Amino acid sequence: MKRNSIFLIVISLIFNTIQSQIINNEPLSERITGYKLNVKLNTVKKTVSGTMDAFWVNNSSDTVPDIQLHLYMNAFKTNRTTYYRESGGSPGNKESDPGWINILSLRDPEGNDLMSGMKFISPDDGNPDDRTVLKVSLPVPAKPGDTVFIKSDFETKLPSRIRRTGCSGDFYFVAQWFPKFGVYEPEGMRYSTNGSWNCHQFHANSEFYANHSVYDVTITLPSGYVTGTGGLLISEKKDGQEETLVYRAEDIVDFAWTAWPNYVVINDKWNNVSITLLIPKERVRQVERQLTAVKNALEYLDKNVGPYPWPYLTFVDPPAIGEGAGGMEYTTIFTSASYYFMPSFFHMPEMVTIHEFGHAYFMGILASNEFEEPWLDEGVNSFMEERIVDHFYGTNSGLLNHPFLKIPDITYSRLAYTLSRNRQVTSNASYSWNYPHDTYGMMSYLKTATWLYTLMGIIGEETMNNVFREYYRKWAFRHPSGKDFVNVVNEVVKKEYGDRFGKDMNWFFDQTLYGTGICDYKVAGIRNRKHFKFEGKEDISDRAKTGESGSDSLFTSLAEIERVGEVMLPVDVLIHFTNGEEVLEHWDGKERYKDYEYTGKREIQWVKIDPEFKIRMDVNYINNSMTTKPYRAPVNRLINKFLSFVQFCFSIVLL
Amino acid sequence: MKILNSLKSGFDRAFRSWKGVLVVWLMLLILVSFMTVPLRGGLKSAFDNSMITEKLAEGFNLEAYMDLGSALKTLISSTTSGFLFVFLAGFVANAFLTAGLFSSLTGDCIRFSTGEFFRNGAKNFWSFFIISVIITLIMLFLSIIIIAIPFLIISSSETISEKGVFMTGVIVTMFYLILLPLLLIAADYSRAKKTSDASFTWSRSLGFGFSQTFKKFWPSYLMMLLLVFCQGILGLLIISILPGWEPVNGGGVFLLLIVSQLLLYARLMLKTWRYGSFTAMMEETDMPDTNNP
Repeated sequence: MKRNSIFLIVISLIFNTIQSQIINNEPLSERITGYKLNVKLNTVKKTVSGTMDAFWVNNSSDTVPDIQLHLYMNAFKTNRTTYYRESGGSPGNKESDPGWINILSLRDPEGNDLMSGMKFISPDDGNPDDRTVLKVSLPVPAKPGDTVFIKSDFETKLPSRIRRTGCSGDFYFVAQWFPKFGVYEPEGMRYSTNGSWNCHQFHANSEFYANHSVYDVTITLPSGYVTGTGGLLISEKKDGQEETLVYRAEDIVDFAWTAWPNYVVINDKWNNVSITLLIPKERVRQVERQLTAVKNALEYLDKNVGPYPWPYLTFVDPPAIGEGAGGMEYTTIFTSASYYFMPSFFHMPEMVTIHEFGHAYFMGILASNEFEEPWLDEGVNSFMEERIVDHFYGTNSGLLNHPFLKIPDITYSRLAYTLSRNRQVTSNASYSWNYPHDTYGMMSYLKTATWLYTLMGIIGEETMNNVFREYYRKWAFRHPSGKDFVNVVNEVVKKEYGDRFGKDMNWFFDQTLYGTGICDYKVAGIRNRKHFKFEGKEDISDRAKTGESGSDSLFTSLAEIERVGEVMLPVDVLIHFTNGEEVLEHWDGKERYKDYEYTGKREIQWVKIDPEFKIRMDVNYINNSMTTKPYRAPVNRLINKFLSFVQFCFSIVLL
Repeated sequence: MKILNSLKSGFDRAFRSWKGVLVVWLMLLILVSFMTVPLRGGLKSAFDNSMITEKLAEGFNLEAYMDLGSALKTLISSTTSGFLFVFLAGFVANAFLTAGLFSSLTGDCIRFSTGEFFRNGAKNFWSFFIISVIITLIMLFLSIIIIAIPFLIISSSETISEKGVFMTGVIVTMFYLILLPLLLIAADYSRAKKTSDASFTWSRSLGFGFSQTFKKFWPSYLMMLLLVFCQGILGLLIISILPGWEPVNGGGVFLLLIVSQLLLYARLMLKTWRYGSFTAMMEETDMPDTNNP
């Protein structure tokens, strides 16, 4: 009894500490969950072990009989886990290769052992060999408003083949490393029809979903390591050969950390945000571009979405031995990717940094469910990444920005979607591991970015920014779903345009987000028919009736437009005449074809559908225009250059 | 002095053989056109009357080309197979024409004769072809041994730093580039010998080429470096002019074609200068020593 009382007091203290404010003046989120972790890194056994005190608040009106915890690290335990079944391969044959997490003890505040109520479940695929979701029956069901405390001793072995998390040599990237609550979704939250845990297994093509939490993390590790975490360093203590670091993080969805002796620590500042970059010593020439990239992203998202609410940010450029950890995001810490030698025209580091930082918003602040709606974080974030790259590095910038060859970010995503053989195999609205035929990346990242650009083309850039500002205002530090995003679009568009686009924008999302159709408009033909002077036997009475002049200088011109694809979007049609006049027509794009006919002393010279390339979903731009005078010079130029290039190559290679 | 004399003599000989160089240029133009003419037709047909070509006016536009979809795949596929065919045909034709060219570069040849050019091309074709194949294979083999294997071993190591991997790549490539002129010198001496002495088989010529390379290592190597330097200057000129030149009308495009072909001709002249210079240097050594009858 006495032991229990002490335990309750300790728990109460922990709860109060966790709920207190250290970083921001006010809590940013509801803080339904919180964690206090005290762990030690064993660099010989490659383990992280220690204790965890955690809580979950039942803020629903349900009585909940159990809790569900993610044990992500078990995905790397055998080659039969769902992760490896989906991705192929194996965690490795050596004893040191696999990753796993063992719960050594699990108790409630009363000291009740919860281990007996533990059961591994596989809600997604029923795989009995997958141990990434743990269901724990509570001795007493949690009533509405109750807080469930758990205390656990655990040991996590880091995998040697780094897939987002793991270790290589003396490099450690420690993520998905502790028992972590799923999200309890009461009825009405997102798509929940009755209260239940949303706790998915670790899949090859999926990321995460969690409540915004407070983390108090104490890490003990051998001296000499340089560490970086998603928290703020509160205290640091050296004790002989060991070092103990205490971190605090508030209102973030995950806590990850890294340790490696060879990092160089670079500090910078953007407004009130302290930026820390951990980078291998030999990559110092990448520092400036990395910092510029993250500051560009901060500035753009702060202005066009909402404020970055934490006073710090850490990002890591992992060394080559830990490249598997690159390109991941944990809100206040993320990983980028670069190399010792990377030409300035190759923008891969900037793109990765901007993208991964963007996840601080799309998934970090706006904590959507990455398992179930990956487009809502990856796709939306890719769209923002492309806009940021275009804004700061010049229109049509991207991965390759050489004067002789450009691969614009925005072009890459459109082409990856439009050229995919599987572009119609499923809609965007699929669970991340359910995208068939290896379409996860194309669908969730690139198709989404493409239709978001199309949406922006229709409603305008400023309205699009207002959509994101409103989305942030309404849903920051909550769990928005796809339909919530659509609702925000509908509200903002209605407010700004009234009924110009119909009663709502659902027609757009039904086709693009929820549909599988393609968009393809085409100029089918241009016809200019001359009105000849009357020849033959003239019947004066008939002429008088019709009133036709029969002039040689009159033409009836026809522009024939077709909708080839299933998707119906409003498009502009620009028609240019031989006398220099131009007519801009607006077509709702619903019929299968549309003819524009003009009569006058002019002929149609050319026709362009969507002359400003606003409809980025259009899978073929080539058939969007037609001219009576084709412009061949660029093709001839390309061929001539190719001819010379091959000739020069031959003259060099042939002895 | 030996180098300068050889270079001067080589230049005179190359200048004298301008018609032979013209034949080589024509061969390259016709051969590569087998590939580019259908490609041009295919692209024009694929773009049809579209105005997307306006997007290409400012330079290469990935999106415009990629939107060709399956038409582009067909064009790339046919061009790739065409490239292989054209390369093989070019290799064979080059052996033939180089044999002719070398014959017009010998000291015995006073003026260029088209008949002699083709006759000698036919006479020495097989030897030139085999020498070219062997030297090319040695180059490929060395590139694997010197660059690819060390680079692969080092880059798979977990202990070596990124800088180490990068510097290793640079060093092995430099080493390879330093070795490369030796093979070119050997090839040139071999072919010059075969041309000047018909009794030499290809294998004896090749042996002579390598022995001569090492016997006259410094003058040969320095002369080759000078010639490579001149070619490098021309290469820089070409790179600074052609890739960034984006004419937008038919006249400009035609001018681009003319300039690029002139530059190619200049490049072939420089190569012929190399042949001529090494022929001259070889002949200088081969000359009977009048002091020792």
